[in-house]
Amino acid sequence: MVDNRAGGEADLASLKLKLADTYLDQGKVGAFFGWDGIVVLDRATDVVAMAAEYMKRVQENYCCARCSPGKKGTRVLMDTLGRIVAGKGQESDLVTIEGLADLLQSCKCTLCMTSVVPVLDTVKHFRDDYLAYIRGERRPAPAKAYREKLTAPCMDRCPAHIDIPAYVEGIKDYRADEALAAIRRNMPIPAVCGRVCPHPCEKACRRALVDEPISIMVLKRVAADHEWMHHLLPPMRPKAPTGKKVMVVGAGPAGLTCAYYLALEGHKVKIIDMLSEPGGTVAVGIPDYRMPRPLLQREADIIAALGVEIAYGVKLGRDVSLRQLKEQYDAVFLGTGAFKSKPMGVEGEDAGYEGFSTGGINYLRAVALGEPIVTPKRVIVVGGGNTAIDCVRVALREGAAESILVYRRSRKEMPAEPYEVDDAEEEHVRFEFLVNPTRLIAENNKIVGVEVVKMVLGEPDASGRRRPEPQAGSEYIIPCDLVIPAIGQDPDLSYLEDGDYGINQTRWNSILTKNGTMMTDNAGVFAGGDCEYGAMTVVVAVGHGRRAASAMHRYLTEGKAYLNDDEAMEDLINRFGAFDENEQVGIAGGLHREHQPKIAGSARAQNYEEIELAMPESQAVREAERCLRCYRVAMVAVN
Amino acid sequence: MVKLKIDGKVVQIEKGATILAAAAKLGIVIPTLCFLKKVSPTGACRICAVDVAGADKPMTACNTPATEGMEITTESPRLQVIRRQVVELLLVNHPLDCPVCDAGGECELQNICYSQDVTRQPFAAEDVNPPVIDGWPLIQQVPNRCILCEKCVKVCHEVVGSSALFVNNKGDRAFIDKDLAKCEFCGNCVAVCPTGTMISKPFKFKARCWDLTKVASTCTSCGSQCQIDLNVKNGQVYRVTSDDDTTINNGTLCFNGFFGYDYIHAPQRLLQPQLRRDGKTQVASWDAALTAAVDGLRRAGSATAGIAGNRLTNEEGFLFQALLRNGLGSNHLDSEARFGMQRVYALLSSQFGMAGGTANLGRVGVAEAVLVLGADPTAEAPAVDWQVQVAARKGDAKLVVGNARRIKLLRQANVPLLCRPGSEGVLALALARQILDLGLADQAWLQRQVGNVDELRAQLASVDLAAAAATCGVAPELIAEAARQLGAAKSVAIVMGGDLYRNQAAGAALAAVANLALVSGALAGDAGGIFPIGAGGNTQGLLDMGVACDLLPGGERHPAPGRDLNGILVGIEQGEIKALYLAGANPLLFADSARWRKALEKVEFLVVQDLLASELTALAHVVLPGVSFAEKNGTVTSSGQRLSPLAAAIPPLGAARADAAILADLLARIAPPALLTTEAVAAEVQRCSQKAPFAPAPGALRASPQLSFEVPSAPLLLAGKDLYYAAAVNIVSANARAVVPSGYVAVNPADAQSWGLADGGRVRLGTTLGSIEGTARLDATTPAGVVFVPFHCPDLNVQQLLPAGTNVAPVTAAKV
Repeated sequence: MVDNRAGGEADLASLKLKLADTYLDQGKVGAFFGWDGIVVLDRATDVVAMAAEYMKRVQENYCCARCSPGKKGTRVLMDTLGRIVAGKGQESDLVTIEGLADLLQSCKCTLCMTSVVPVLDTVKHFRDDYLAYIRGERRPAPAKAYREKLTAPCMDRCPAHIDIPAYVEGIKDYRADEALAAIRRNMPIPAVCGRVCPHPCEKACRRALVDEPISIMVLKRVAADHEWMHHLLPPMRPKAPTGKKVMVVGAGPAGLTCAYYLALEGHKVKIIDMLSEPGGTVAVGIPDYRMPRPLLQREADIIAALGVEIAYGVKLGRDVSLRQLKEQYDAVFLGTGAFKSKPMGVEGEDAGYEGFSTGGINYLRAVALGEPIVTPKRVIVVGGGNTAIDCVRVALREGAAESILVYRRSRKEMPAEPYEVDDAEEEHVRFEFLVNPTRLIAENNKIVGVEVVKMVLGEPDASGRRRPEPQAGSEYIIPCDLVIPAIGQDPDLSYLEDGDYGINQTRWNSILTKNGTMMTDNAGVFAGGDCEYGAMTVVVAVGHGRRAASAMHRYLTEGKAYLNDDEAMEDLINRFGAFDENEQVGIAGGLHREHQPKIAGSARAQNYEEIELAMPESQAVREAERCLRCYRVAMVAVN
Repeated sequence: MVKLKIDGKVVQIEKGATILAAAAKLGIVIPTLCFLKKVSPTGACRICAVDVAGADKPMTACNTPATEGMEITTESPRLQVIRRQVVELLLVNHPLDCPVCDAGGECELQNICYSQDVTRQPFAAEDVNPPVIDGWPLIQQVPNRCILCEKCVKVCHEVVGSSALFVNNKGDRAFIDKDLAKCEFCGNCVAVCPTGTMISKPFKFKARCWDLTKVASTCTSCGSQCQIDLNVKNGQVYRVTSDDDTTINNGTLCFNGFFGYDYIHAPQRLLQPQLRRDGKTQVASWDAALTAAVDGLRRAGSATAGIAGNRLTNEEGFLFQALLRNGLGSNHLDSEARFGMQRVYALLSSQFGMAGGTANLGRVGVAEAVLVLGADPTAEAPAVDWQVQVAARKGDAKLVVGNARRIKLLRQANVPLLCRPGSEGVLALALARQILDLGLADQAWLQRQVGNVDELRAQLASVDLAAAAATCGVAPELIAEAARQLGAAKSVAIVMGGDLYRNQAAGAALAAVANLALVSGALAGDAGGIFPIGAGGNTQGLLDMGVACDLLPGGERHPAPGRDLNGILVGIEQGEIKALYLAGANPLLFADSARWRKALEKVEFLVVQDLLASELTALAHVVLPGVSFAEKNGTVTSSGQRLSPLAAAIPPLGAARADAAILADLLARIAPPALLTTEAVAAEVQRCSQKAPFAPAPGALRASPQLSFEVPSAPLLLAGKDLYYAAAVNIVSANARAVVPSGYVAVNPADAQSWGLADGGRVRLGTTLGSIEGTARLDATTPAGVVFVPFHCPDLNVQQLLPAGTNVAPVTAAKV
C-alpha cells in the first residue's frame, strides 16, 4: 500500500510495478483495478465512477450467476454504486457495500469474491470522494475508456491462456463436449497438450496453496480423449470464405494452431512441412509412448477438415523460397521449429566417428520415422532436458542393454520433468550426474567411450541454477558404442539466407517479432514457436500460433497487424501475474490430487505403447471438483 | 473411512463422502436449498455453509468432502448471518405472488425463509423482471421466481440425459433456458424445482398442494414400473409425483409418468356398460350387461377365445385365464406379448431357465459395459435409459449401441454400431465371435455353465466376420472395438428392444443375442444381465399368470396349448371361434389390423372390457367398462421382475368397475365353483410371481442353435414406440398431443429429398396389405431406407400395413 496523494514521492520504479503507463495507442493508463486492489496513476481518475463501472461489468459481463451471493450480491453492489454515482446515494450505502463485501467471501468461486477487493479499497481510501458524490457535490468524470478482462492464475500462466477454470468446470459438470470447446477456443491440439505439456499452469494453481495443485493437464486429456473415445465428430465449422490465402510453414504445434484459427475465420490456408507427417517436433521428437502419433494425426486431420491443405515433404529454402511464398500468398506464417542440435564443444566431436550421433533430436527423428539406424548395446546420452530423457528411454526400446544419461549438474537441476526422470529410472536408465564429457574415445574411427570429468556445483548462474565447475584430474572413461549429444537445439533459419527479407533475428538465432503480434519486420510475414522463441514448449508454440492467427486476421482484413483489447489486456495482466504464492486461501484442504493410471515396471521399455493410461471420467470429475475456479477481473481506465 | 467431529460429536464415514452426509449420519441437519442428492453437488446457494477448524472461510457442507480429523461447527452467529443474508439476496425482487404461485405450500424458498428467520429486506436492486417463458409445451418457466439452484439443469443432464436445459446469460439476467428440440417433457425439472419457476401447465391453478392426498402406487406405462404417488382430490388425479429417497426410480419420472396420466379423466372414458341390440349400442345396467355376456360366452363355451391387454393386473390376469380355462373350458387365450416379449420369454426360459429378463434394472447402472441392441430405451423404457445414464455417465461404463435408428443414447456411446435395420442379430453374432477370437470370453465359466459349450464354439467358429460386417453395414474395426470393450468388461448388461424382437425374423436374432449373452459374460456375476425392454404395462405379470395359450400360471408350459393370437384370428375367420373376450386388448391396434377388423365384425359374440370408447367398443356386443390403474388395487410385475402394488387412489369413474371385480363376477355367474376368493387369488399371484434368484447349476445354460438370417431390403417400414404414446390408452392423452399432435411418418432427410417430401407434408405409405396417408417428419435419427411410424398415435394406424406378428415390412413411400 503506497498512498502518495498527500505528497511524498514514492519511487514507482522501486515498487517493481509492472504496469505500463500507456495502453496500446489509446492513451495513458489512469488507474488499474485488480483482485488485489487498485493502482491509481493519474490523480484525475474518478475512482468512484470507475468502481461503479467495474462492478457493472463484473455483474453484466462475467458473473456466471451460478452462486446466489455472487449473482445477487454483485447486482446489489452494481446498483448501489450506480446510485451513488447518479447522485442518489446515501452514506448507509457504504455500509451496504462493506457488508456485502464480507458476505461475498462465501461465494462459490473467486470471481465475485475478488471483485469486491478493489471496490472496498476505493471505499476505504477514497471515502471523501464517495461522500462528495453522496452530498451531491460531484458529477461523474469517467475515463475515456475502460478495458477489462477475465483471467485466473492458471489461465494467465498458461502460455496459450486457455480458460482452464471453464474446461475444468465442464469436466465437473459431466459435459466433456463443453470442456473441449472451451479448450479449443485457445488450443486446437488438446490431445497433445493433455499429454506432453509441461503444464506451467499447475505451478500457478491456487489449490496448491491448500493441498495439491489440480491435475490440469490430465483433465485436458480427459476432455480431448472423450471425443474420440466416443467417435464424436468435432463441432467446429469455419466461417464463410474471405478469399484470402495464407501459407503456414511447418505443421508443428505453432503452424497447426495458426492454420486452425485462420481457417475458422474463413481464410484459405495451406501448410507445407519438410517431414512426411504432421506434428513437427511433437511427431518426431516426442516418442510414441508419451504421445501416440495416431492421436496427433487425428488433431491434424481435424484441422485439415476445416479446409486446410497440408503438403508434406516440402522444405522452405530447398523446395520453395520465402520470396515465392510472399508473392503467392496474402500472408505467411513461419513455424519452422528448432531442429539444429547444439554442439557439445568436446574433442573429437567433428571427427566423423562412427557411433557419434548428430544430436538427440536427430536420433529421435530417425527412430520415429523408421529410418534404418541401429542402436548398439551401450548408449550414452549427454544432457539433462526432455530430449535427453527421451533419447535414453528410446535407446532402451531400440535394443540398448545399457542406456546412460550423462549430465553435468545434479538431478535436482535437470530441466526435464521430474516424473520423466523417475520414469526413466524405473526403466533402468543409468544416470551419471555431475560429470561432463571432455573427449570422445574412438578406435578405428569408431566410438568406444567418452572421457568425462567430475563437476562440482558453484554459485548460481543467470538461469538460477548452480554453475557446474570441472574438478581437475577427476577424468575417467565410460565405455560405450554410441554417444548422443542432447544439450539443446537451435532454429535452422538458413531459408532466410537466400535474400534479405528484412527479417531481423535475435541474438539467439531466432526470428524477431514485434509487440506481441508475432509479425516480423517484414510486413505480412509472421513467426512463432521454436523458430521465434528458441527451443521451448508445445504450449508456447500454440500460444504463438493463436496470437499470430489473430493478428494475421486483422492484417488480412484490415491491412494492419495489431493487438486487440483482449490481447492487450492479456499481456498487461501477464506482466503483473495473477498468482500470489503467499496468498492465504483460507479454506479446508486435505484432498489429494488424482493421478492417471500408468503402466508400471521396466518391462514397458520394450515397446512404444502409451505409458500413461486414460483417467476414468468419474475420477476426473472428482479431481475437477477440487478446482477453486479462481476467476478474477482486471480493468484499466484509459485517459 | 475417515473420522471427524461435527458439533463436538465424532462420526466415521467412507472416504469421499461430504460433510453434509457425515452430519446426516449424526442426525445433524444442516440447512440446504440447492442440494439434490441424485445429482452432483452444485454449491450454488451457500446456505449449507459450515465452519471447519483451521479454515478462515466457511465451507459448503454439500460439496466439501469430509477428511480425517476435521472439526466442524454447523451453527454459529457468523453462519447465521451468512445464511440469512444469502436468503435476503435471493429475495431481492423475488415476486410476491406466493398466494397464486404453484409452489405455494411446498416452496423450499418459503421454508428456508422461515427456518432462517428472514423477516426483513435490507438490499435493493433494479428489478430485471424477465418475461415468463410460455412457448414450451406443458411446462411454463417463470424466471423471476428462479433462484438458479440448477437442480433442473442437472437432473436434465445427469439423470435424464436429455441435456435440454442450460443457464443462459450472465449476472442477474441469467435464467434457465431450454433447447426445445432436446426436451423429453419428463417433468423432472418441475419436480425438482424448489420454487414455482418450472411449472406444469396442466397442473397450474388446479389444486393447492395441501388439498391433495398422495397415494403410493405404480406407474404402468411401461415395463419398468416406476413407483409413484398419485396426488388426488375429490376423486380426481391432479398430478403424479415420486419421492426421491424411497422409490426404486429415485423419484425420477418420464413423460408418461409425469404427464401421461391424463387419459384417466379423458372424455372418452366408458362410464356405463353397453349392449348392442339391433345394431345399436345402448347403455345398459351391469346386471343386464353381465347377463348378456354370460349368455353369449356360455353359448360359445370352449369355442370362446380371450385376449388380454397388458394393463390388467396380475390378479386380473389370473382371473382372466381362470375365466377362459375353468369357466369356459377354453385354452384359446393369449395377449399381444405373443408377437413381442413372449418370444424373448420363451427363449430365456428354455435356454437359461429364466422367467423373463434379469431381475433388478439397477444392475444395468452398475454394469461395466452396456450393449443396447435394437432398442430405444428413451421411448421403450425410460427408466432403463436412466440406468444407462448412470452407468455411462457416472460409472465409467463402456456403452455400445447397435441400432438402426439413431437413438438418443448414441450421444454417450463409446462405440456406435449403426447397422442396417433387421441386422441387429447378425451384429450380435459378430460381436460374440469377435469376443471369442480376442480371447476375452471367460472360458472357464463357459465350460462350467454352458451344457453345450462345444456347439456354441462350433457355431461361432462358422461366423464369417467380414460377411457379417457387410450385412450389418458396419465397419469391421468398429465391431472389433465394441467386442474389445464388451469382452474386457467384468460385467455386461445387454438391453434389447422392439426393433430386435418384434419382427417375424426375431428367432434368429434372439438366438444370437442369447449366445452373445453367454460369451460376453452378461449372465455371470452380480452386475449386468439381459434386459428385454419395450413390452408395456404388466406384460411380464400376464406371462407369469399364464395368460397365454401355452403357459400355465407360474410360467410352466401348458401340456395342451390352445390357439395363440394368430390361431384365434384364423379360428374366427374359419368360424371355429364363436365368441371373443377382449380384456384391455384392442386387436385394431395389432399388426394386420384390417384383417382383425374383419374378424371382429365376423365373430358371433364380442365382449369388450375396456376403458375407452373407440372403434372397438362400437363393434362389441357387450361393453364392460373397466378402470385405469389409478382406480384399482392389485399387483403388477415389472420387466425387472419386481412385484409392485397398485392402489385405488380414486373410486372408479362413473359406473365403471375394477377389472378384477368384473372378471370375478363373470366367473361367479358362469362357473361358481371355479371362483376363488380375493385372498386365494392373491395367494396364487404370490405363488406365480415367486422367482428364485438366478443361479444356474453347472451345465444348465444352453447355447441356442443359430437360425439363418434374412435381412430385409430397403425401403422398409419400421413401427415402434413413440415416447409420448407409450400405451394404447395414451392415444386420448391431451398432454401427449401437446407434444406430438398426431401420428407421423419419420423419414430420413435424404430419402425425403429423393421422394420430394417436405417436413409436415403428406406422404402415402404402401405395403402388400394396403396403404395409409400420414404427415412426414424429416428426422435425421431415422436411417436412410427406413420410414419409422409409431404405434398407436392419434390419426394414423400403421398396423394396417404390417403383416401379423411383425413390425417391419417392405414399403413404398410417395408424396401426396
